[in-house]
Formats: sequence, C-alpha cells, structure tokens
Amino acid sequence: MDGFSFYMPKNLDQDTIILCRSCDLAVQRRALPSNVRALCPRCHTALYDVPYCSINGMLALCIAALLFFIPANLLPVLEIHFMGSIRATTVYETAVAVWNHDYWIVAIAVIASAVLAPGLLILSILFQIIIVKLKLQSTFWQKTYKRLLKNHELLSQLSMLEIYVISFLVAAFNLSDFAEIYLGMGTLSFGILFLVILFLQREYNLEHMWGMVHDK
Amino acid sequence: MTNEFAQQGKDVGMCLCKVCRNINPIDQTHCSRCESKIQPRNYASLQHSWALLITAAILLIPANIYPITIVTNQGKVTYDTIYTGIVHLVHLDMFPIAIIVFTASILVPLLKIVGLAIYLSAITFNLPLPKKKLMTGFHIIEWIGRWSMLDLFVIALTVAVVNMGQLLDAKPAPAATAFALVILLTQLAAKVLDTRLLWDRLEKNNDTN
Repeated sequence: MDGFSFYMPKNLDQDTIILCRSCDLAVQRRALPSNVRALCPRCHTALYDVPYCSINGMLALCIAALLFFIPANLLPVLEIHFMGSIRATTVYETAVAVWNHDYWIVAIAVIASAVLAPGLLILSILFQIIIVKLKLQSTFWQKTYKRLLKNHELLSQLSMLEIYVISFLVAAFNLSDFAEIYLGMGTLSFGILFLVILFLQREYNLEHMWGMVHDK
Repeated sequence: MTNEFAQQGKDVGMCLCKVCRNINPIDQTHCSRCESKIQPRNYASLQHSWALLITAAILLIPANIYPITIVTNQGKVTYDTIYTGIVHLVHLDMFPIAIIVFTASILVPLLKIVGLAIYLSAITFNLPLPKKKLMTGFHIIEWIGRWSMLDLFVIALTVAVVNMGQLLDAKPAPAATAFALVILLTQLAAKVLDTRLLWDRLEKNNDTN
C-alpha cells in the first residue's frame, strides 16, 4: 500500500488526473520516457504511453496497405490440384461459398473480419490523416473526424487478418493429405497486407488523434 | 480515509468516457468531447454480460456435439465434429497443427466461458478472490478470444476449394453456426461488462484496494 501513496497524493491536481478504464482509479499523470507504458498501480491495465504517432509515417503505411489490399482480395489465396482438377479461391469467395451452403452467420463473420473491417480500417485512418493534414476545420469535417474516431476501436477489433494468415497454414496442411496445395501471389499480398496493417496499428494512437479535434 | 484507500473517479467527482477516454465531471450525462453517453458505473452491464455468457455456454454444447464439416471422399461421407477433426489431425502426425486447432477451438472457448463465469460471480456474489489476478485473466480472455475464429476461416477456405462432387467435397455443418455464435456472444459478454464494478468493494484480506 505504501507504493500507492506516490501515485495518490492527498490532493490530486485536477488538470492532470487520469482514470483507469478498468478499475476507475484516479492516477496523477506524469511525463514518461519513450518506450515506457504507464500501468495502473492497482489492476495493471495499460493507462497511457508516449504517443509515437507520426502522421506522415501513417500516411505512407496507409497507401501501402491500400495498394496491397487490391491484389490480396482479387487474386486467389489458395489453389489445390486434385486428380487433374484445379480449384482456386479468393478471400471473398470463401465467404460466398459458405453463404451458398446457407451458413450465412459464418459467412458474415468471415467477410466482416477478413475483408470489410480491414478495408474500412484503412479508409478510416486515411480520412483521419487527410482531415488532420489539410486542417479541415469546418463543422462537417470535424463531425466526420469524431465519428471516425468513435468507430475506430470497433473496426480494429473486428479485423482479424493475423488469424486469417494462420488459417491459410492450417487449411494447407489439412488439405495436403488429399491434394497438392499452391499458395500464390494473392497469399503473399495478403501476408504483406497483414504486416502493413500491424505496423499501422502500432503507429496509431487513438488518444493522440482525439487530441487533434478542433472545437470552437 | 483518502490515504487509507485508493481514490476512484467517482470519489473525486469525475467520470471517464468509455469511447474517447475523456475525463468529465460526474454530473454530466454526455461526454463533452465525443457526445457519447457516460455513466460513472453501468450496473445493468452485469446482467447483460451474464445473459450473453449463459447463452454462449448453452450454444457450446451443440457446437461440440454436432458435426462442423461434412466431407465426402470418393463416395464415402464422414461427419466431423470439432473433436474428431483434431483426432484426425493427430492420426496424420500433424501435431503442431493439431495443437493450434485444439487451442483455438476447444481450449479457448471453454476457458473463456469458465473464466468469465468466475469473474462475473466474483462481482455478483462478492466472492473474496484476488482482484488483480481476475483482472489479468480478463485482459487475457479479451485478447485471446478472437483466435477461435481460426476454425471458421479454415472451414470457409476448405469449403471454397474442395467441391468436386462425389470425388472430394466438403460442406459446413450445423455446429459451424453454433460455434460462430459462441465466439460472438463471449466476445460481447466481455465487451459490455463494466469492469469497474469489481473494484468498488473493498477487499482487505486478499488484495490491497
């Protein structure tokens, strides 16, 4: 308990107070060295870190992600050869195949987490960057900016590219029992898309972006 | 009193916005930055979370009993449940893949439901459990839960490429929907819960508060 007295002086300075989102503890905000995260002294939830949120870096990653998004979704990601017949599928077609068997809940889950959420996430971050970079301060743009920020967490939780990448491997090993498996350019693009989005999400800091709202 | 126990936001008259993490005065109903609704504590979230969790626990039974894929190999039809699919992988000596699938589709959903049940019981029935450990477990559950989607992606990929009629054919089966709902409901149960409720009660024996 004596460790806490440091974080909790009797009179908290109202301006630099922050609250833990998991346990509602009031903590005094202090400056941090880079590469250090502040943890809640009571429940060890991550509170804040030094934003390393370079707008230009994110713009570059966004454009790279958009470029790889197209081949990753248009080219086949998995191809099998079995007794002379060849079957190939794109990510989108995997969801359609499940939909055609009337398992539409599964199909929606697949298309939402592998195609829609990552795509919307890239577009959302791109628009946020454009609004910040071009200093668009009219009410319409600021409203759009806030709406994008509000939905950011949902989109980043819904996009599950890392799991889809692992599922290529599992499916390929599963099927290698019956047939010959070929992974093509689509798979490579999808893998790169996953890496680019991973770095984009590491660079992105929601709190920092909220700080750039212009209120009149 | 103030030095004895930790001060919470509601003690100092402040309320955190769950959406944008802005700090507002406690008497406001909406966040001054993002205009979302704010509440110092969401007591109803406990019931929402229980309801979602119980539904998920019930759906876990059909997800494991019914077949999740129907495979036709040269006219021979086999119905694979999640479990027999893993046994099949073990027979093919693909242990690493079998371990990944076992973790993602059996271990994670089960641990998630048990873990959330313990966490919710600790709040509802005032169980004297160490809160710091509960909170760590909760963060792990939040993070690892999404990995259960792996099995559904594998099924979707397999169904899309394996469609050669009587020779070799794979179809999804009823457990797939149940399994998808288990993932969705458990993720929602963890997301709707207001974890601050756990920390309101003082626990002198187990944890410093």
